[in-house]
Amino acid sequence: MDQKTRDDLLKLFQSKLNQAMLFYLETCTRCGTCVEACHVYASMGQVKYIAAYRHEIVRRIYKKYFKARGKLWPTVGESKELTEMALEELYEAAYSCTGCRRCMVYCPFGIDTQMIMSIAKLLLVGAGTEPEILTMLADTSIEKGKSLELYKEGFLKGLKNLEKDVVKKWQMEAGETAIPVDVEGADILYVALAGAHSIIPAAAIFNAAKENWTLSFFEAVNFGAFVGDPTRTKLILDRIINEATRLKVKEVCICECGTAFRVMKQMAGKQPFEVSSITEVHARYIREGRIKIDKSKFNRPITYHDPCQIARNGGVFDEPRYILKHLTDDFREMSPEPIYNWCCGGGGGLVALGEDTLDFRMKSARVKVEQTQATGAEILATACENCHAQLDNLNEHYKMGMQVEFLSSMIADALVPA
Amino acid sequence: MQTIYYIVLVPMVYIAFAVFIVGTALRLIKIFRTPPHPATLQIFPEKRPKWLWALHDTFLFPTVRRHKPLLWFFLMVFHISLFLLIIGHLELFYDFQIFQIIPHQIFLGKGIVGLLAFVSLLYFIFRRFHSPVKELTVPEDYFLLILLLLLVLFGSQMDWARRWYEYGELTVEDYRTYLTSLLYFKPELPYAVTYSGHSFMLVVHVFLANLFLIFFPFSQIMHSFLALPINKLRRG
Repeated sequence: MDQKTRDDLLKLFQSKLNQAMLFYLETCTRCGTCVEACHVYASMGQVKYIAAYRHEIVRRIYKKYFKARGKLWPTVGESKELTEMALEELYEAAYSCTGCRRCMVYCPFGIDTQMIMSIAKLLLVGAGTEPEILTMLADTSIEKGKSLELYKEGFLKGLKNLEKDVVKKWQMEAGETAIPVDVEGADILYVALAGAHSIIPAAAIFNAAKENWTLSFFEAVNFGAFVGDPTRTKLILDRIINEATRLKVKEVCICECGTAFRVMKQMAGKQPFEVSSITEVHARYIREGRIKIDKSKFNRPITYHDPCQIARNGGVFDEPRYILKHLTDDFREMSPEPIYNWCCGGGGGLVALGEDTLDFRMKSARVKVEQTQATGAEILATACENCHAQLDNLNEHYKMGMQVEFLSSMIADALVPA
Repeated sequence: MQTIYYIVLVPMVYIAFAVFIVGTALRLIKIFRTPPHPATLQIFPEKRPKWLWALHDTFLFPTVRRHKPLLWFFLMVFHISLFLLIIGHLELFYDFQIFQIIPHQIFLGKGIVGLLAFVSLLYFIFRRFHSPVKELTVPEDYFLLILLLLLVLFGSQMDWARRWYEYGELTVEDYRTYLTSLLYFKPELPYAVTYSGHSFMLVVHVFLANLFLIFFPFSQIMHSFLALPINKLRRG
């Protein structure tokens, strides 16, 4: 690696050193309390997957270039030069971490591995060695934000084709639009994913609840966050903020996507609208009697996988359980309690990398399979696109014989007139 | 030899304290003047009041208790011992009435406290000898633990000699004369401090303490100051 590249990368490193990051980098005593926290280590048993080991890969470079003893006494902290090989190590650490932050619940200090891994991810972006597909997907999202007019017509046409499926799930009154778009003054802006399964059930439920809603032109998922690029993350986020502000909506409702929800909820800053997950909105409809669901629709035991970014990192625990109480009398909670829920193994962009990560995702999520099977449930519900895709893969790979369902689809399928 | 004793007991102590105080202050100022992270780093479900839970996490290590009970036991023993030993050292300067709520001779615990700290440190070192903590360890961890182990051992040895074997040559008054003279920048080394049978123990103890203080601001021992704010981040 030439000096210029290294200097540029170190500038990127420096840009990540805010107060919290310094806390995280300066504090770890390598006590090893986090050893059993990571699902990858618990499933595969290799030391390189322990949270503190991952931290140290980044921390050694920090010690080398940002601490005096990197020069005066480099061996004491085993500080390490930033080289091509170091980048490879950073890649392995960052893209085997799903950012689930389970280790944060173990650490006596609460060190956030996802934050430390975001340095690794940014360095990889700077060196052009990040997973290319994630950057491409992020750039596509940004491009869509810039030239919406080009996409608009095709998008609206696509929606027209979906409307009949929405109506099939919930009959509308004559003259009502099944999927409203660009409605100024709507109460809710619903941000979905690029896929019918994320739009049809949600639309049916909004219509059943007689909600004054409008569908966003943009997809919720933030590939900028997956690839760890703060600039792209912000640009992708801003498209939705701008749309919500333009339409003067009261609430932005994020579809079943953990990263999208957390990024919008926690990184949007102070805005004139509320941010909620679709699970929260659905629980509210049931509580207010705006929708009613038929409990006999699913008569097999159900368990629920808490998506890390929505539950442990986003605070939405009670709402999915409230919904499930209305969907079944046989809900089986996973053990241990939700804050300790094992990650599905698909976060941090791993599912988006598809086949490339499939083998690793299957091996690294063995503990998730065991946790799920221990409930004896036959239906595995969740509220995140990534989790759903990963759990589906696990179901097939481990021949779990379960039915993996989106919570919103289950509600839509069980809708009855209120 | 007396010159070396003098260097360790006087100028090196001043240098060590200067590095410790200035270094720690500068590092903390630098860290706390860095802009905070723009978003929350909280873990849910949250419990209120958040600051009280952050204090609870900082001082009682609940996560270690749950996942590594033996480590938790020794961590508690070690940190409590450390606290009591700091009180003991303060009492080597003056008699603080407040500490005499439990009437005691100087150094609470009749020598047991140092022994407990020593045993805890032995445990911390030995658990790093095997996998997986072995692979997480860097030389700095061994360096600090061995330094602390020897520091505690040599320090306690002086206490044990006085308390358990009635060794009377090096008295509390001698320590007090030496330490307060340092405090007033009029260094004075009583005869017993440098010429008694235990002078060597004292000099090694002070030498190791100096090394520890010098390394403190640059090491993960900074967790003494950062543990609370970092725990507060997790609690939101």
